[in-house]
Amino acid sequence: MEKENILIEQIKQKFGDKVELKIQRNKRVIAKTNKDTIEQLLLYEKEKLGYIHLAHISCVDWIEDNKFELVYITWSPKDKINILNKIYINRDNPVAPNIDYIWRQANTYEREIREMFGIEFDGLVGEREFILEDWKDIPPMRKDFDTLSYVKRTYFTRPGREDAQDVRETIANRTGEEIPEFAKKYTR
Amino acid sequence: MRKKATTIYLGPQHPGITGNMMVRLEVEGDTVVKATTHVGYLHRGFEKLMERRNWLQSFTIVCRICVPEPDPNEENYARAVEEIEGREVPERAKYIRVLVLELSRIQAYLLWYGGQAASTGLYTMGQWSIGDRNYILDLFEDLTGGRVYHMYIWPGGVRRDLPKGFKDKAFRVMDYLEKRLDDYDRLMFDNAIFQKRTQGIGVIDPEKAIEWGVVGPPLRACGIRSDVRIDEPYEVYDKLKFEVPAFKGGDVWTRALIRRFEIRQSINIVRQVLEQMPSGEYYNKIPNPHKWALPPGEAFVKTESARGEFAYYVVSDGSTHPRRVHVKGPAYVHAITLLENLLVGQNIADVSVIMNSLGTCPPEIER
Repeated sequence: MEKENILIEQIKQKFGDKVELKIQRNKRVIAKTNKDTIEQLLLYEKEKLGYIHLAHISCVDWIEDNKFELVYITWSPKDKINILNKIYINRDNPVAPNIDYIWRQANTYEREIREMFGIEFDGLVGEREFILEDWKDIPPMRKDFDTLSYVKRTYFTRPGREDAQDVRETIANRTGEEIPEFAKKYTR
Repeated sequence: MRKKATTIYLGPQHPGITGNMMVRLEVEGDTVVKATTHVGYLHRGFEKLMERRNWLQSFTIVCRICVPEPDPNEENYARAVEEIEGREVPERAKYIRVLVLELSRIQAYLLWYGGQAASTGLYTMGQWSIGDRNYILDLFEDLTGGRVYHMYIWPGGVRRDLPKGFKDKAFRVMDYLEKRLDDYDRLMFDNAIFQKRTQGIGVIDPEKAIEWGVVGPPLRACGIRSDVRIDEPYEVYDKLKFEVPAFKGGDVWTRALIRRFEIRQSINIVRQVLEQMPSGEYYNKIPNPHKWALPPGEAFVKTESARGEFAYYVVSDGSTHPRRVHVKGPAYVHAITLLENLLVGQNIADVSVIMNSLGTCPPEIER
Protein backbone atom coordinates (compact mmCIF):
# COMPACT_ATOMS: atom_id res chain seq x y z
CA MET A 1 0.00 0.00 0.00
CA GLU A 2 3.05 2.28 -0.08
CA LYS A 3 2.41 3.56 -3.58
CA GLU A 4 -1.24 4.21 -2.78
CA ASN A 5 -0.29 6.29 0.28
CA ILE A 6 2.22 8.35 -1.70
CA LEU A 7 -0.42 8.96 -4.36
CA ILE A 8 -2.96 10.10 -1.78
CA GLU A 9 -0.41 12.48 -0.25
CA GLN A 10 0.36 13.99 -3.66
CA ILE A 11 -3.30 14.62 -4.47
CA LYS A 12 -3.95 15.98 -0.95
CA GLN A 13 -1.10 18.46 -1.24
CA LYS A 14 -2.44 19.80 -4.51
CA PHE A 15 -6.19 19.83 -3.84
CA GLY A 16 -6.54 19.86 -0.04
CA ASP A 17 -10.15 19.43 1.10
CA LYS A 18 -11.59 19.54 -2.39
CA VAL A 19 -10.89 15.84 -2.90
CA GLU A 20 -11.90 13.13 -0.46
CA LEU A 21 -9.51 10.20 -0.75
CA LYS A 22 -9.68 6.59 0.36
CA ILE A 23 -7.80 3.37 -0.36
CA GLN A 24 -10.42 0.82 -1.33
CA ARG A 25 -8.01 -2.09 -1.56
CA ASN A 26 -4.63 -2.93 -3.04
CA LYS A 27 -4.27 -1.01 -6.37
CA ARG A 28 -7.60 0.80 -6.01
CA VAL A 29 -7.95 4.38 -4.78
CA ILE A 30 -11.25 6.27 -4.61
CA ALA A 31 -11.17 10.05 -5.07
CA LYS A 32 -14.47 11.87 -4.51
CA THR A 33 -14.73 15.44 -5.68
CA ASN A 34 -17.20 17.88 -7.24
CA LYS A 35 -17.86 18.74 -10.84
CA ASP A 36 -15.92 22.02 -10.68
CA THR A 37 -12.71 20.23 -9.65
CA ILE A 38 -12.92 17.01 -11.70
CA GLU A 39 -11.28 18.44 -14.83
CA GLN A 40 -8.32 19.82 -12.87
CA LEU A 41 -8.01 16.58 -10.94
CA LEU A 42 -7.98 14.42 -14.07
CA LEU A 43 -5.54 16.76 -15.81
CA TYR A 44 -3.27 16.71 -12.75
CA GLU A 45 -3.37 12.91 -12.62
CA LYS A 46 -2.60 12.66 -16.31
CA GLU A 47 0.06 15.36 -16.67
CA LYS A 48 1.84 15.18 -13.31
CA LEU A 49 1.21 11.79 -11.74
CA GLY A 50 1.47 9.59 -14.84
CA TYR A 51 -2.12 8.33 -14.85
CA ILE A 52 -2.22 8.56 -18.61
CA HIS A 53 -4.72 5.80 -19.33
CA LEU A 54 -8.47 6.37 -19.06
CA ALA A 55 -9.81 2.89 -18.37
CA HIS A 56 -13.51 3.62 -18.04
CA ILE A 57 -16.25 6.17 -17.44
CA SER A 58 -19.29 4.82 -15.69
CA CYS A 59 -22.54 6.22 -14.37
CA VAL A 60 -24.79 5.06 -11.55
CA ASP A 61 -28.31 6.36 -10.96
CA TRP A 62 -29.03 6.99 -7.24
CA ILE A 63 -32.66 7.94 -7.68
CA GLU A 64 -33.35 7.93 -3.91
CA ASP A 65 -30.80 10.71 -3.38
CA ASN A 66 -31.78 12.45 -6.64
CA LYS A 67 -28.20 12.14 -7.87
CA PHE A 68 -26.16 10.65 -10.68
CA GLU A 69 -22.73 9.33 -9.81
CA LEU A 70 -20.11 9.64 -12.54
CA VAL A 71 -17.00 7.51 -12.14
CA TYR A 72 -13.86 8.26 -14.15
CA ILE A 73 -11.37 5.42 -13.81
CA THR A 74 -7.74 6.19 -14.62
CA TRP A 75 -4.71 3.91 -14.59
CA SER A 76 -0.98 4.43 -14.43
CA PRO A 77 1.35 2.09 -16.34
CA LYS A 78 4.05 2.86 -13.76
CA ASP A 79 2.16 2.49 -10.46
CA LYS A 80 -0.38 -0.06 -11.87
CA ILE A 81 -3.05 1.59 -9.72
CA ASN A 82 -6.60 2.42 -10.76
CA ILE A 83 -8.09 5.64 -9.37
CA LEU A 84 -11.87 5.80 -9.25
CA ASN A 85 -12.56 9.54 -9.55
CA LYS A 86 -16.15 10.28 -8.60
CA ILE A 87 -18.50 13.20 -8.88
CA TYR A 88 -22.17 13.51 -7.99
CA ILE A 89 -24.49 15.63 -10.10
CA ASN A 90 -28.05 16.70 -9.55
CA ARG A 91 -30.60 14.51 -11.25
CA ASP A 92 -32.96 17.39 -12.07
CA ASN A 93 -30.49 19.26 -14.25
CA PRO A 94 -27.77 16.74 -15.07
CA VAL A 95 -24.84 18.57 -16.61
CA ALA A 96 -21.23 17.44 -16.33
CA PRO A 97 -17.97 18.82 -17.74
CA ASN A 98 -16.77 17.36 -21.02
CA ILE A 99 -13.31 15.78 -20.82
CA ASP A 100 -12.76 14.55 -24.37
CA TYR A 101 -9.99 17.13 -24.82
CA ILE A 102 -8.04 15.24 -22.14
CA TRP A 103 -8.68 11.76 -23.57
CA ARG A 104 -10.27 11.54 -26.99
CA GLN A 105 -11.88 8.16 -26.23
CA ALA A 106 -13.87 9.87 -23.47
CA ASN A 107 -16.07 11.16 -26.29
CA THR A 108 -17.54 7.67 -26.85
CA TYR A 109 -18.25 7.11 -23.15
CA GLU A 110 -19.88 10.52 -22.84
CA ARG A 111 -22.04 9.99 -25.90
CA GLU A 112 -23.27 6.71 -24.45
CA ILE A 113 -23.96 8.20 -21.01
CA ARG A 114 -25.76 11.13 -22.66
CA GLU A 115 -27.99 8.73 -24.53
CA MET A 116 -28.56 6.16 -21.76
CA PHE A 117 -28.84 8.49 -18.73
CA GLY A 118 -29.69 11.83 -20.31
CA ILE A 119 -26.67 13.61 -18.82
CA GLU A 120 -25.45 16.56 -20.87
CA PHE A 121 -21.73 17.19 -21.18
CA ASP A 122 -20.72 20.80 -21.74
CA GLY A 123 -19.59 21.24 -25.33
CA LEU A 124 -19.68 17.56 -26.30
CA VAL A 125 -19.51 17.12 -30.07
CA GLY A 126 -20.80 13.94 -31.68
CA GLU A 127 -23.99 12.51 -33.10
CA ARG A 128 -26.73 12.30 -30.50
CA GLU A 129 -27.75 8.84 -31.59
CA PHE A 130 -25.16 6.29 -30.55
CA ILE A 131 -26.80 2.93 -29.92
CA LEU A 132 -30.53 3.66 -29.80
CA GLU A 133 -32.50 4.66 -32.86
CA ASP A 134 -35.44 7.10 -32.85
CA TRP A 135 -35.70 6.89 -29.05
CA LYS A 136 -38.58 9.04 -27.78
CA ASP A 137 -38.92 7.74 -24.19
CA ILE A 138 -36.92 8.77 -21.11
CA PRO A 139 -33.28 7.59 -21.21
CA PRO A 140 -33.49 3.83 -20.70
CA MET A 141 -30.73 3.27 -18.14
CA ARG A 142 -32.40 5.59 -15.63
CA LYS A 143 -33.91 3.76 -12.70
CA ASP A 144 -37.36 5.26 -13.28
CA PHE A 145 -37.55 3.77 -16.77
CA ASP A 146 -39.94 0.84 -16.41
CA THR A 147 -38.95 -1.87 -18.86
CA LEU A 148 -42.14 -3.89 -18.39
CA SER A 149 -44.53 -1.03 -19.06
CA TYR A 150 -42.42 0.03 -22.06
CA VAL A 151 -42.69 -3.45 -23.52
CA LYS A 152 -46.45 -3.50 -22.93
CA ARG A 153 -46.83 -0.08 -24.59
CA THR A 154 -44.57 -0.77 -27.53
CA TYR A 155 -45.06 -4.38 -28.50
CA PHE A 156 -48.29 -6.22 -29.07
CA THR A 157 -49.45 -9.73 -29.76
CA ARG A 158 -50.05 -10.36 -33.41
CA PRO A 159 -53.80 -10.54 -34.12
CA GLY A 160 -54.87 -14.15 -34.02
CA ARG A 161 -52.09 -15.08 -31.58
CA GLU A 162 -53.71 -13.83 -28.36
CA ASP A 163 -54.34 -17.33 -27.06
CA ALA A 164 -51.50 -18.93 -29.06
CA GLN A 165 -53.99 -20.60 -31.39
CA ASP A 166 -53.12 -21.77 -34.86
CA VAL A 167 -53.00 -18.84 -37.28
CA ARG A 168 -54.43 -20.96 -40.10
CA GLU A 169 -57.51 -21.69 -38.03
CA THR A 170 -58.06 -18.00 -37.29
CA ILE A 171 -57.71 -17.10 -40.93
CA ALA A 172 -60.01 -19.94 -41.90
CA ASN A 173 -62.62 -18.78 -39.37
CA ARG A 174 -62.37 -15.21 -40.58
CA THR A 175 -62.49 -15.88 -44.30
CA GLY A 176 -64.45 -19.11 -44.38
CA GLU A 177 -61.62 -20.88 -46.21
CA GLU A 178 -61.38 -24.63 -46.12
CA ILE A 179 -58.29 -25.95 -44.40
CA PRO A 180 -56.85 -28.71 -46.57
CA GLU A 181 -57.04 -32.21 -45.14
CA PHE A 182 -53.27 -32.62 -44.89
CA ALA A 183 -52.95 -29.45 -42.78
CA LYS A 184 -55.75 -30.34 -40.37
CA LYS A 185 -53.71 -32.89 -38.49
CA TYR A 186 -51.38 -30.12 -37.25
CA THR A 187 -54.21 -28.04 -35.79
CA ARG A 188 -55.13 -28.45 -32.16
CA MET B 1 -7.47 18.86 -58.56
CA ARG B 2 -9.23 17.30 -55.57
CA LYS B 3 -11.15 14.15 -56.37
CA LYS B 4 -14.73 13.89 -55.25
CA ALA B 5 -15.17 11.72 -52.16
CA THR B 6 -17.54 8.76 -52.41
CA THR B 7 -19.31 7.28 -49.40
CA ILE B 8 -19.19 3.53 -48.87
CA TYR B 9 -21.17 1.76 -46.18
CA LEU B 10 -19.15 -1.19 -44.95
CA GLY B 11 -21.41 -3.49 -43.01
CA PRO B 12 -23.32 -4.17 -40.77
CA GLN B 13 -22.31 -7.64 -42.00
CA HIS B 14 -18.80 -7.94 -43.34
CA PRO B 15 -15.67 -10.05 -42.93
CA GLY B 16 -13.74 -7.61 -40.73
CA ILE B 17 -15.48 -8.45 -37.49
CA THR B 18 -17.43 -10.95 -35.44
CA GLY B 19 -20.83 -9.36 -35.02
CA ASN B 20 -22.65 -6.50 -36.66
CA MET B 21 -21.21 -3.05 -36.96
CA MET B 22 -21.19 -0.54 -39.77
CA VAL B 23 -18.33 1.70 -40.78
CA ARG B 24 -19.12 4.60 -43.06
CA LEU B 25 -16.11 5.23 -45.24
CA GLU B 26 -15.53 8.32 -47.30
CA VAL B 27 -13.09 7.41 -50.03
CA GLU B 28 -11.19 9.22 -52.73
CA GLY B 29 -10.27 6.63 -55.31
CA ASP B 30 -9.14 3.68 -53.20
CA THR B 31 -8.03 5.74 -50.22
CA VAL B 32 -10.08 6.26 -47.10
CA VAL B 33 -10.28 9.92 -46.10
CA LYS B 34 -12.76 9.58 -43.26
CA ALA B 35 -14.20 6.69 -41.31
CA THR B 36 -17.11 6.75 -38.87
CA THR B 37 -18.19 3.78 -36.80
CA HIS B 38 -21.90 3.16 -36.36
CA VAL B 39 -23.15 0.73 -33.76
CA GLY B 40 -26.66 -0.15 -32.66
CA TYR B 41 -27.34 -3.39 -34.51
CA LEU B 42 -26.77 -5.62 -31.50
CA HIS B 43 -28.00 -3.75 -28.47
CA ARG B 44 -29.65 -6.24 -26.13
CA GLY B 45 -29.79 -4.16 -22.96
CA PHE B 46 -27.94 -6.69 -20.81
CA GLU B 47 -26.85 -4.08 -18.27
CA LYS B 48 -30.46 -3.01 -17.76
CA LEU B 49 -31.66 -6.62 -17.62
CA MET B 50 -29.18 -7.38 -14.86
CA GLU B 51 -30.64 -4.65 -12.67
CA ARG B 52 -33.94 -6.59 -12.72
CA ARG B 53 -32.40 -9.95 -11.89
CA ASN B 54 -30.81 -11.28 -8.73
CA TRP B 55 -27.08 -11.81 -8.37
CA LEU B 56 -27.19 -15.40 -9.54
CA GLN B 57 -29.61 -14.86 -12.42
CA SER B 58 -27.35 -12.12 -13.79
CA PHE B 59 -24.53 -14.61 -14.03
CA THR B 60 -26.35 -16.46 -16.82
CA ILE B 61 -26.46 -13.28 -18.90
CA VAL B 62 -22.89 -12.03 -18.69
CA CYS B 63 -21.35 -14.72 -20.88
CA ARG B 64 -23.58 -13.64 -23.76
CA ILE B 65 -22.00 -10.21 -23.85
CA CYS B 66 -19.10 -11.37 -26.00
CA VAL B 67 -19.68 -14.21 -28.43
CA PRO B 68 -16.13 -15.12 -29.47
CA GLU B 69 -14.81 -15.09 -25.93
CA PRO B 70 -17.44 -15.38 -23.18
CA ASP B 71 -15.30 -16.63 -20.28
CA PRO B 72 -13.56 -13.38 -19.26
CA ASN B 73 -17.06 -11.98 -18.67
CA GLU B 74 -18.01 -14.82 -16.35
CA GLU B 75 -14.75 -14.61 -14.47
CA ASN B 76 -14.95 -10.82 -14.12
CA TYR B 77 -18.52 -10.90 -12.88
CA ALA B 78 -17.83 -13.71 -10.43
CA ARG B 79 -14.73 -11.99 -9.06
CA ALA B 80 -16.54 -8.65 -8.70
CA VAL B 81 -19.34 -10.29 -6.72
CA GLU B 82 -16.83 -12.15 -4.56
CA GLU B 83 -14.89 -8.94 -3.93
CA ILE B 84 -18.00 -7.06 -2.80
CA GLU B 85 -19.15 -9.91 -0.59
CA GLY B 86 -15.69 -10.94 0.64
CA ARG B 87 -16.31 -14.54 -0.36
CA GLU B 88 -13.35 -16.90 -0.45
CA VAL B 89 -12.80 -19.10 -3.49
CA PRO B 90 -11.21 -22.55 -3.11
CA GLU B 91 -7.72 -22.92 -4.56
CA ARG B 92 -8.77 -25.67 -6.94
CA ALA B 93 -11.53 -23.46 -8.37
CA LYS B 94 -8.96 -20.74 -9.07
CA TYR B 95 -6.84 -23.20 -11.05
CA ILE B 96 -9.87 -24.42 -12.99
CA ARG B 97 -10.80 -20.82 -13.75
CA VAL B 98 -7.34 -20.14 -15.17
CA LEU B 99 -7.61 -23.33 -17.20
CA VAL B 100 -10.91 -22.17 -18.70
CA LEU B 101 -9.60 -18.65 -19.34
CA GLU B 102 -6.52 -19.92 -21.13
CA LEU B 103 -8.46 -22.47 -23.21
CA SER B 104 -10.76 -19.61 -24.07
CA ARG B 105 -7.80 -17.47 -25.10
CA ILE B 106 -6.49 -20.26 -27.35
CA GLN B 107 -9.84 -20.73 -29.07
CA ALA B 108 -10.21 -16.96 -29.50
CA TYR B 109 -6.78 -16.81 -31.14
CA LEU B 110 -7.65 -19.72 -33.40
CA LEU B 111 -10.76 -17.83 -34.46
CA TRP B 112 -8.61 -14.75 -35.01
CA TYR B 113 -6.16 -16.80 -37.17
CA GLY B 114 -9.10 -17.62 -39.45
CA GLY B 115 -10.40 -14.07 -39.60
CA GLN B 116 -7.05 -12.38 -40.07
CA ALA B 117 -5.93 -14.78 -42.79
CA ALA B 118 -9.29 -14.63 -44.59
CA SER B 119 -9.15 -10.83 -44.65
CA THR B 120 -5.98 -11.15 -46.76
CA GLY B 121 -7.46 -13.87 -48.97
CA LEU B 122 -5.95 -16.96 -47.29
CA TYR B 123 -9.10 -18.97 -46.83
CA THR B 124 -7.39 -22.31 -46.14
CA MET B 125 -6.05 -20.96 -42.87
CA GLY B 126 -9.56 -20.38 -41.54
CA GLN B 127 -10.64 -23.90 -42.44
CA TRP B 128 -7.70 -25.33 -40.51
CA SER B 129 -7.77 -23.14 -37.44
CA ILE B 130 -11.54 -23.22 -36.97
CA GLY B 131 -11.44 -26.99 -37.43
CA ASP B 132 -8.78 -27.22 -34.73
CA ARG B 133 -10.73 -24.83 -32.53
CA ASN B 134 -13.41 -27.50 -32.36
CA TYR B 135 -11.06 -29.66 -30.29
CA ILE B 136 -11.00 -26.91 -27.66
CA LEU B 137 -14.78 -26.62 -27.87
CA ASP B 138 -14.96 -30.40 -27.30
CA LEU B 139 -12.96 -29.88 -24.10
CA PHE B 140 -15.38 -27.16 -23.06
CA GLU B 141 -18.30 -29.44 -23.76
CA ASP B 142 -16.79 -32.16 -21.56
CA LEU B 143 -16.07 -29.69 -18.80
CA THR B 144 -19.08 -27.38 -18.83
CA GLY B 145 -21.73 -28.94 -21.05
CA GLY B 146 -21.63 -26.01 -23.47
CA ARG B 147 -19.44 -25.38 -26.47
CA VAL B 148 -19.60 -21.60 -26.87
CA TYR B 149 -21.45 -20.25 -23.82
CA HIS B 150 -20.38 -22.08 -20.70
CA MET B 151 -22.05 -20.50 -17.66
CA TYR B 152 -19.37 -22.27 -15.68
CA ILE B 153 -17.38 -19.75 -13.65
CA TRP B 154 -19.84 -18.46 -11.06
CA PRO B 155 -19.60 -16.60 -7.77
CA GLY B 156 -17.97 -18.89 -5.23
CA GLY B 157 -16.00 -21.07 -7.62
CA VAL B 158 -16.91 -23.16 -10.64
CA ARG B 159 -19.99 -25.25 -11.28
CA ARG B 160 -18.45 -28.70 -11.71
CA ASP B 161 -15.22 -30.49 -11.06
CA LEU B 162 -13.06 -31.81 -13.93
CA PRO B 163 -14.70 -34.87 -15.47
CA LYS B 164 -12.95 -38.22 -15.52
CA GLY B 165 -10.23 -38.45 -18.16
CA PHE B 166 -10.30 -34.69 -18.83
CA LYS B 167 -6.65 -34.10 -17.95
CA ASP B 168 -5.36 -36.71 -20.40
CA LYS B 169 -7.57 -35.42 -23.15
CA ALA B 170 -6.52 -31.82 -22.52
CA PHE B 171 -2.83 -32.77 -22.64
CA ARG B 172 -3.38 -34.59 -25.93
CA VAL B 173 -5.21 -31.60 -27.45
CA MET B 174 -2.40 -29.26 -26.34
CA ASP B 175 0.25 -31.54 -27.89
CA TYR B 176 -1.72 -31.68 -31.11
CA LEU B 177 -2.24 -27.91 -31.27
CA GLU B 178 1.42 -27.20 -30.61
CA LYS B 179 2.38 -29.29 -33.64
CA ARG B 180 -0.30 -27.63 -35.74
CA LEU B 181 1.05 -24.16 -34.97
CA ASP B 182 4.11 -24.96 -37.13
CA ASP B 183 1.79 -25.71 -40.03
CA TYR B 184 0.04 -22.41 -39.42
CA ASP B 185 3.39 -20.61 -39.54
CA ARG B 186 4.20 -22.13 -42.90
CA LEU B 187 0.79 -21.33 -44.32
CA MET B 188 0.30 -17.85 -42.89
CA PHE B 189 3.43 -16.21 -41.53
CA ASP B 190 5.77 -17.51 -44.25
CA ASN B 191 3.35 -16.45 -46.93
CA ALA B 192 4.65 -13.50 -48.98
CA ILE B 193 1.12 -12.20 -49.62
CA PHE B 194 0.29 -12.15 -45.92
CA GLN B 195 3.55 -10.38 -45.13
CA LYS B 196 3.04 -7.75 -47.80
CA ARG B 197 -0.57 -7.16 -46.85
CA THR B 198 0.20 -6.67 -43.15
CA GLN B 199 3.62 -5.06 -42.79
CA GLY B 200 3.48 -1.30 -42.33
CA ILE B 201 -0.34 -1.30 -42.31
CA GLY B 202 -2.43 0.29 -39.56
CA VAL B 203 0.50 1.56 -37.50
CA ILE B 204 -0.30 2.76 -33.96
CA ASP B 205 1.98 5.46 -32.57
CA PRO B 206 3.70 3.85 -29.54
CA GLU B 207 4.08 7.25 -27.83
CA LYS B 208 0.33 7.74 -27.77
CA ALA B 209 -0.91 4.15 -27.46
CA ILE B 210 -1.63 4.07 -23.71
CA GLU B 211 -3.15 7.54 -23.77
CA TRP B 212 -5.44 6.55 -26.62
CA GLY B 213 -6.73 3.64 -24.55
CA VAL B 214 -5.13 0.84 -26.56
CA VAL B 215 -4.91 -2.42 -24.60
CA GLY B 216 -3.93 -6.05 -25.13
CA PRO B 217 -2.03 -7.38 -28.16
CA PRO B 218 -2.21 -4.05 -30.09
CA LEU B 219 -0.53 -2.32 -27.13
CA ARG B 220 2.14 -5.02 -26.76
CA ALA B 221 2.78 -4.70 -30.49
CA CYS B 222 3.83 -1.09 -29.76
CA GLY B 223 6.64 -2.41 -27.58
CA ILE B 224 4.81 -1.82 -24.28
CA ARG B 225 4.74 -4.86 -22.00
CA SER B 226 1.36 -4.42 -20.38
CA ASP B 227 -0.86 -7.32 -19.41
CA VAL B 228 -3.36 -7.56 -16.54
CA ARG B 229 -1.99 -11.02 -15.79
CA ILE B 230 1.35 -9.50 -14.73
CA ASP B 231 0.30 -5.96 -13.79
CA GLU B 232 -2.36 -7.08 -11.35
CA PRO B 233 -2.25 -10.89 -11.11
CA TYR B 234 -5.66 -12.42 -10.45
CA GLU B 235 -6.66 -16.00 -9.62
CA VAL B 236 -3.36 -17.97 -9.66
CA TYR B 237 -1.44 -16.20 -12.42
CA ASP B 238 1.25 -15.18 -9.93
CA LYS B 239 2.07 -18.87 -9.39
CA LEU B 240 2.49 -19.67 -13.09
CA LYS B 241 5.47 -19.14 -15.36
CA PHE B 242 4.80 -17.45 -18.67
CA GLU B 243 6.22 -14.71 -20.81
CA VAL B 244 4.40 -11.66 -22.05
CA PRO B 245 5.82 -10.56 -25.38
CA ALA B 246 6.32 -6.95 -26.47
CA PHE B 247 7.55 -6.30 -30.00
CA LYS B 248 8.22 -2.98 -31.65
CA GLY B 249 6.44 -2.09 -34.85
CA GLY B 250 2.83 -1.25 -34.07
CA ASP B 251 1.51 -2.55 -37.39
CA VAL B 252 -0.83 -5.43 -38.27
CA TRP B 253 2.13 -7.78 -38.80
CA THR B 254 3.52 -7.13 -35.31
CA ARG B 255 0.10 -7.65 -33.77
CA ALA B 256 -0.10 -10.98 -35.57
CA LEU B 257 3.35 -11.95 -34.25
CA ILE B 258 2.29 -11.11 -30.70
CA ARG B 259 -0.69 -13.45 -30.98
CA ARG B 260 1.47 -16.14 -32.58
CA PHE B 261 3.77 -15.94 -29.56
CA GLU B 262 0.98 -15.77 -26.99
CA ILE B 263 -0.92 -18.82 -28.18
CA ARG B 264 2.19 -20.89 -27.41
CA GLN B 265 2.40 -19.32 -23.97
CA SER B 266 -1.23 -20.17 -23.33
CA ILE B 267 -0.63 -23.80 -24.24
CA ASN B 268 2.17 -23.86 -21.67
CA ILE B 269 -0.05 -22.25 -19.05
CA VAL B 270 -2.73 -24.91 -19.62
CA ARG B 271 -0.11 -27.63 -19.10
CA GLN B 272 1.19 -26.00 -15.91
CA VAL B 273 -2.33 -25.59 -14.54
CA LEU B 274 -3.17 -29.23 -15.22
CA GLU B 275 0.04 -30.37 -13.53
CA GLN B 276 -0.12 -28.08 -10.50
CA MET B 277 -3.87 -28.25 -9.81
CA PRO B 278 -4.46 -29.15 -6.16
CA SER B 279 -7.23 -31.46 -5.04
CA GLY B 280 -10.07 -30.28 -2.84
CA GLU B 281 -13.26 -28.29 -3.05
CA TYR B 282 -14.17 -26.47 -6.23
CA TYR B 283 -17.12 -24.43 -4.95
CA ASN B 284 -17.84 -22.28 -1.91
CA LYS B 285 -21.61 -22.58 -1.76
CA ILE B 286 -23.68 -19.41 -1.91
CA PRO B 287 -26.85 -19.02 0.18
CA ASN B 288 -30.38 -19.25 -1.25
CA PRO B 289 -30.03 -17.12 -4.40
CA HIS B 290 -33.46 -15.52 -3.98
CA LYS B 291 -32.49 -14.14 -0.58
CA TRP B 292 -28.82 -13.60 -1.32
CA ALA B 293 -28.12 -9.91 -0.68
CA LEU B 294 -24.65 -8.47 -1.06
CA PRO B 295 -23.37 -5.76 1.29
CA PRO B 296 -23.28 -2.23 -0.17
CA GLY B 297 -20.08 -1.67 -2.08
CA GLU B 298 -18.44 -1.54 -5.44
CA ALA B 299 -15.74 -3.35 -7.35
CA PHE B 300 -13.71 -2.57 -10.44
CA VAL B 301 -12.18 -5.79 -11.72
CA LYS B 302 -10.16 -6.56 -14.82
CA THR B 303 -9.18 -9.63 -16.79
CA GLU B 304 -6.79 -10.00 -19.69
CA SER B 305 -8.89 -11.35 -22.53
CA ALA B 306 -7.50 -12.35 -25.92
CA ARG B 307 -8.21 -8.84 -27.16
CA GLY B 308 -7.02 -6.94 -24.10
CA GLU B 309 -8.18 -5.64 -20.77
CA PHE B 310 -11.78 -6.59 -20.04
CA ALA B 311 -13.22 -4.67 -17.11
CA TYR B 312 -16.37 -4.78 -14.98
CA TYR B 313 -17.59 -2.04 -12.69
CA VAL B 314 -20.18 -3.55 -10.35
CA VAL B 315 -22.11 -1.61 -7.70
CA SER B 316 -24.22 -3.13 -4.93
CA ASP B 317 -26.70 -1.14 -2.82
CA GLY B 318 -27.16 -3.91 -0.29
CA SER B 319 -30.08 -5.58 -2.03
CA THR B 320 -30.57 -8.92 -3.78
CA HIS B 321 -30.12 -7.28 -7.20
CA PRO B 322 -27.14 -5.46 -8.71
CA ARG B 323 -27.43 -1.68 -8.63
CA ARG B 324 -25.24 -1.35 -11.68
CA VAL B 325 -23.10 -3.65 -13.79
CA HIS B 326 -21.04 -1.75 -16.35
CA VAL B 327 -18.98 -3.70 -18.84
CA LYS B 328 -15.99 -2.32 -20.67
CA GLY B 329 -14.51 -4.45 -23.39
CA PRO B 330 -11.38 -3.58 -25.34
CA ALA B 331 -13.38 -3.03 -28.55
CA TYR B 332 -15.11 -0.06 -26.94
CA VAL B 333 -12.01 1.97 -27.69
CA HIS B 334 -10.42 -0.13 -30.44
CA ALA B 335 -13.43 -0.20 -32.74
CA ILE B 336 -14.46 3.43 -32.40
CA THR B 337 -11.91 6.15 -31.69
CA LEU B 338 -8.83 4.08 -32.56
CA LEU B 339 -10.25 2.50 -35.70
CA GLU B 340 -11.68 5.77 -37.02
CA ASN B 341 -8.21 7.33 -36.77
CA LEU B 342 -6.22 4.35 -38.06
CA LEU B 343 -8.31 3.93 -41.20
CA VAL B 344 -7.63 7.42 -42.53
CA GLY B 345 -5.18 7.20 -45.43
CA GLN B 346 -5.50 3.44 -45.80
CA ASN B 347 -6.63 1.48 -48.82
CA ILE B 348 -10.22 0.15 -48.80
CA ALA B 349 -8.90 -3.40 -49.11
CA ASP B 350 -6.96 -2.99 -45.86
CA VAL B 351 -9.94 -1.93 -43.78
CA SER B 352 -10.96 -5.43 -42.77
CA VAL B 353 -7.29 -6.42 -42.25
CA ILE B 354 -6.91 -3.61 -39.71
CA MET B 355 -10.25 -4.35 -38.05
CA ASN B 356 -9.31 -7.97 -37.52
CA SER B 357 -5.92 -7.08 -36.14
CA LEU B 358 -7.55 -4.86 -33.49
CA GLY B 359 -9.92 -7.64 -32.44
CA THR B 360 -13.04 -5.64 -33.21
CA CYS B 361 -16.02 -7.13 -31.39
CA PRO B 362 -19.23 -5.04 -31.50
CA PRO B 363 -21.26 -7.12 -28.97
CA GLU B 364 -19.15 -5.77 -26.15
CA ILE B 365 -19.60 -2.16 -27.33
CA GLU B 366 -23.36 -2.41 -27.10
CA ARG B 367 -23.96 -5.00 -24.36
